[in-house]
Amino acid sequence: MLSIKNLQAEIEGKKILNGINLEVKPGEVHAIMGPNGAGKSTLSSVLAGREDYTVTGGEVIFNGKNLLDLSPEDRAREGVFLAFQYPVEIPGVSTTNFLKTAINEKRKYHGLEPMEATDFLKMMRAKMEFVEMDKSLTSRSLNEGFSGGEKKRNEIFQMAMLEPKLGILDETDSGLDIDALRLVSNGVNKLRNKENAFIVITHYQRLLDYIVPDFVHVLYKGRIVKSGDKELAKELEVKGYDWIKQEVEAAQ
Amino acid sequence: MKLHELIKENFQKENTYSVSEKMRVDEAFGIFDKLGIPSTKNEEWKYTNLKNIAEKEFKIESSLKNISDFYSKLSIQNITSNRLVFVNGIYSETLSNIIEKDKTILIDNIFSARKNHTEIYNNHFSKYAKIEGLALNAMNAALLNDGAFVFVPKGKVVEHPILIINITDSVESNILSQPRNLIVVEKSANVKLIEAYYSTGKNASFTNVVSEIYADENACVEHYKIQQQVGECYQNNFTQFFQEANTTINQVTLTLDGTVVRNNLHFYMNGENCNTLLYGLYLATENNHIDNHTRVDHAKPNCYSNELYKGILKDKSTAVFNGKIMVHLDAQKTNAYQRNQNILLSDEATINTKPQLEIFADDVKCSHGATVGQLEEEPMFYLRSRGIPENEARKMLLNAFADAIAEEIKIPELVSILEQEINNKL
Ligand SMILES: Nc1ncnc2c1ncn2[C@@H]1O[C@H](COP(=O)(O)OP(=O)(O)O)[C@@H](O)[C@H]1O
Ligand SMILES: [Mg+2]
Repeated sequence: MLSIKNLQAEIEGKKILNGINLEVKPGEVHAIMGPNGAGKSTLSSVLAGREDYTVTGGEVIFNGKNLLDLSPEDRAREGVFLAFQYPVEIPGVSTTNFLKTAINEKRKYHGLEPMEATDFLKMMRAKMEFVEMDKSLTSRSLNEGFSGGEKKRNEIFQMAMLEPKLGILDETDSGLDIDALRLVSNGVNKLRNKENAFIVITHYQRLLDYIVPDFVHVLYKGRIVKSGDKELAKELEVKGYDWIKQEVEAAQ
Repeated sequence: MKLHELIKENFQKENTYSVSEKMRVDEAFGIFDKLGIPSTKNEEWKYTNLKNIAEKEFKIESSLKNISDFYSKLSIQNITSNRLVFVNGIYSETLSNIIEKDKTILIDNIFSARKNHTEIYNNHFSKYAKIEGLALNAMNAALLNDGAFVFVPKGKVVEHPILIINITDSVESNILSQPRNLIVVEKSANVKLIEAYYSTGKNASFTNVVSEIYADENACVEHYKIQQQVGECYQNNFTQFFQEANTTINQVTLTLDGTVVRNNLHFYMNGENCNTLLYGLYLATENNHIDNHTRVDHAKPNCYSNELYKGILKDKSTAVFNGKIMVHLDAQKTNAYQRNQNILLSDEATINTKPQLEIFADDVKCSHGATVGQLEEEPMFYLRSRGIPENEARKMLLNAFADAIAEEIKIPELVSILEQEINNKL
């Protein structure tokens, strides 16, 4: 589904990604861990098409298409979804209108008619329950005045609405209390199926108790320096990142 | 013939005034003749150049043009309302339509009011809009066309809005029109007004309009101004509100088109506990120039004013915002707030924004602020990352920017017109 080969990217002349390789197949969940500043958000931003970053090398193939050639909106319409680490507040744009536009734009791209208003509302209601999101939140402006936890839940709600093939969660767990963490994880687990895949970026092992990954990768200084299964996450939990850093330094 | 000469020549021809009126009119002409069309040397006109207007040859219309086809296509017609329609400043009885059933509420043209409601006319006409030092006001007073006359007696509520439509028709020649509106709202009366400006024709037009709105104690006025003149259209729009105690004014100005538009919106609070809300939204595109000068005179204690003007500028357009708040010596406990926010969609667009607070009382709360920026990247990326194309995302964000103003518009049809213009132009 997703094949990242030797991906390199920089911002303002500063190299952040130094050759990332990653293969994701349908049905898989990959966790990416790593210390602050490792480049985790950069990787997710480059995949989603944030224009601040310059890709200086490598390629990303997503379901046979060269992802890096597509605009952010086309990537979304091809099925990429990024749950932002810091979702932005957009006063004056209603959540409902925003989602209706997003869904219908995606449908248009795939040659489908716009969704019937009643079907859309039914879907909204169902998916809201799914992440136990309060109805009042969708009647407000997009993320405006939402708490940190509400914003993260809104990201998962949007993901549920847009039904992506590849969901990228950038530290969706950070700042969440245990109840919110459970809700968010349940939401993701209910979305998991044989056709879709997830990249779960996290700083802590905690989230991976709920969303159990098939693979765990450690990102450090813009490279994946270690890969393993969920046991690797537990090891990191116990030992911290220092031993990884030392290993990398020793290898150099 | 240049504009100044045109006024001079026509002024000497006009002779329909009574003796008492003649004095007033002569005085106005004298002021205009002495000052001439303002130049950019005048501090108040520093950023708005009227040279084009001063040197153009305009014609003053003497007969009513038939524009029913054009009129019937205006979407503003969907508003259930009383209508007064003027074409090149001339009253069109056929297009006007009064649906108000209470005949003590007067909705008429000003030439008729001068004849038929002389007392009210004499008590209020030309009592509020200054002409000293204001050449264009003096020019209007000296040689005005027709205009709207509204009188709402004590305690009355006008059920439907009163729509005052001015259309310039420059199909045959350049047109000068000078509408003049007088609105008198008596104690505890209530009215909604919409001033709307349109144009048709390839030649130039200059609309120099003066409106006076008097609100007696406890009156409540909702006032909208919507400017949508397309083509080579110039407009100087002067509105003076005169507020007695406990009045509430809700004013919204939507400037959506026009080659050069200069708005002068003045409020004078002549009693305590006045509430004045003024909102504006301007969309400037191509080479358009939109200038909003506002002035709120807090002359008495315990009054509140709140101003929010928002601008979206595209292409090589320019805009001016100058908001003056005058807090007079005995206007203690004044609360006056002002904000001006602008989005520039192009590197070639320019905004000059200047808040001006002049405070002579000591116990007041005043604040002001101006911002100029671009459409933010983060919200844009957020929307696009959900599959919304760039164009659509931009429209959503601009509509969101305009939303704070749209929220203050209590007539849904006007909100739709605004949204439509944003979607069409930006
Ligand atoms: N907009 C930016 N301008 C300059 N440097 C940036 C910018 N965004 C990120 N960086 C730098 O890139 C590196 C990786 O950041 P990021 O991808 O956010 O790391 P992570 O998400 O793993 O904490 C950091 O050193 C950070 O300072
Ligand atoms: Mg990050």
